[in-house]
Amino acid sequence: MSIEVRDITKTFGTFHALKSVNLEVRSGELLALLGPSGSGKTTLLRIIAGLEFADTGSGQIFFNGEDVTHLQASQRKAGFAFQHYALFRHMTVFENIAFGLRVRPKETRPTDAEISRRVTELLQLVQLEPLGNRYPSQLSGGQRQRVALARALAVEPKVLLLDEPFGALDAKVRKELRRWLRRLHDDIHVTSIFVTHDQEEALEVADRVVVMNEGRIEQIGTPTEVYDHPANTFVFHFLGNVNLFGGRLAEGKVHVGDTTIQVRNPETFDEKPASVYFRPHDVRITRQPEGPGGIPARVRHVNSAGPIVRVELQRFDDQTRFEVDLNREQARLLNLKAEDEVFVHLEKVRIFTDDKQLQADDYTI
Amino acid sequence: MASAAPSRIARSAALPVRSTTEPAWVRRSLITVALLFLGLFLLVPLIAVFAEGLAKGFAAYFKAFADEATLSALKLTLIAAAIAVPLNLVFGVAAAWCIAKFDFRGKNLLITLIDLPFSVSPVISGLIYVLLFGAQGLLGPWLMDRDIQIIFAVPGIVLATIFVTFPFVARELIPLMQAQGRIEEEAALVLGASGWQTFWRVTLPNIKWGLLYGVILCNARAMGEFGAVSVVSGHIRGQTNTLPLHIEILYNEYNFVAAFAVASLLCLLALVTLALKTWVEWKGAQLRPEHD
Repeated sequence: MSIEVRDITKTFGTFHALKSVNLEVRSGELLALLGPSGSGKTTLLRIIAGLEFADTGSGQIFFNGEDVTHLQASQRKAGFAFQHYALFRHMTVFENIAFGLRVRPKETRPTDAEISRRVTELLQLVQLEPLGNRYPSQLSGGQRQRVALARALAVEPKVLLLDEPFGALDAKVRKELRRWLRRLHDDIHVTSIFVTHDQEEALEVADRVVVMNEGRIEQIGTPTEVYDHPANTFVFHFLGNVNLFGGRLAEGKVHVGDTTIQVRNPETFDEKPASVYFRPHDVRITRQPEGPGGIPARVRHVNSAGPIVRVELQRFDDQTRFEVDLNREQARLLNLKAEDEVFVHLEKVRIFTDDKQLQADDYTI
Repeated sequence: MASAAPSRIARSAALPVRSTTEPAWVRRSLITVALLFLGLFLLVPLIAVFAEGLAKGFAAYFKAFADEATLSALKLTLIAAAIAVPLNLVFGVAAAWCIAKFDFRGKNLLITLIDLPFSVSPVISGLIYVLLFGAQGLLGPWLMDRDIQIIFAVPGIVLATIFVTFPFVARELIPLMQAQGRIEEEAALVLGASGWQTFWRVTLPNIKWGLLYGVILCNARAMGEFGAVSVVSGHIRGQTNTLPLHIEILYNEYNFVAAFAVASLLCLLALVTLALKTWVEWKGAQLRPEHD
């Protein structure tokens, strides 16, 4: 089922949670709403579910082209998983999953045998078969969230909405469960939206990512698109670590320390400040100058725990601190220690002037 | 913090006595004071009630209950409680539901109003009804024209009882429901449950122990209320006397055995209430799932 959000605005008192948001969710896709807390992502999800309503007269929600703006949550038939699971604490796992079927009106309510069959099936799906008789308080966090998912799926929703589904779990379970969710989605293909503030989670699991900030959508795209072609500095900042060097744009060139970046098609030759952003892994470190353009820096700290080695450096000229990621092989060859003096070569940068990005193919380093 | 913890464990392992433990003589004297106080102010009066009631033997004790006026007072007390408790149960649940699950203007005012019966003297609660419904009262002439009597009659007693016992259920439920939040209700709604189904299947099971606790306290107060009921009752023997009022009359008539015998009945009610309350607390704590 496709979902369309058209021009939705939501205010809580004086706080603008959503500012005229438009979004189309394609049928069968797994979409991530990604943003920092307070960006409006959970509010948007709750408005889609019917748990919250947009400001009167502000916009509409369509499910498969049908206007559901004024339908109550109970009529929208969307499956919803809450961050803190919201399992019914006085019911067993079995009864939790059966709830959505039991509250149906008599005409459409399945028989007890049918309900039992369906719940058993779902327990198998979420790999919790032996735990049907347990109470939620007797389960681990990961198990509770799987019960919550089974409960949401029991009513055969046409859309599955997940609010920070793994937010309350520890790192390892979180990783397992998000891969499991991806496989589950590949099996059942129900249109799904999940909210997260974890960029790694969004990039790994989702078909498309919606990056939100301060009640607005900053960018929509596949994980590769948003990561490689961020629309603005916010998206670039939010998706992974990033370093910033202050530079100057002048006469078709951006100067960053001793490095000169040729800008082929500058919109203006006016001299103005330029922000040069680069990811920690888009940098080469050498011990010798190796030609012009190397930026001299001092190693401040080396953290070699984990699959990548993180090096903290400080420029000699303006004392800017920045980070560089090396793989283990590079780190072994360089053998860096604190206080070593090195040269840093930028390999891939993004240049923004007045928060406008210069096109990537317009400049060369 | 983390580094302090192991050293504390090590210290407590070395010293068998916990740091919060006082010397033995302090402990003993504090316990003695507490027990003396309890005995003097609670146990002795309780024993006195039963002793005085039984002073002239069991026959005289039970004869006190055979009296028609006593039976009528017992009946009236039961009627007042039977009307006041269910009504306050419904009001209390509705008010707590409203306050805990919704946001609206004037919420704090409503909470204050619910507490009003606790904060004003019961005599004043009774007087309010006299001023409203009494012969010289605001609505008195209107009621008189229609031959409806509220003050110095059963309706007045029931009204006063309802007023005085109103906060018990609501006060018990509001913090409980606020702590539980509305997330389970939201989960029920998105699963397609109607508001009514959500209430019966999700909200009510979650609050049932708190609710029972409130009802027990409400019932105890409904049966024991003196001040407010005294003002509106008129003390018509055999007609508008509840048990507490009847005890006062018997005592004033120097009928001590009967007075204390009836009083022992109220004491028994209090003891049963206490036992029930303890059981409900224990049961509620046992079934409450531990939080993460």
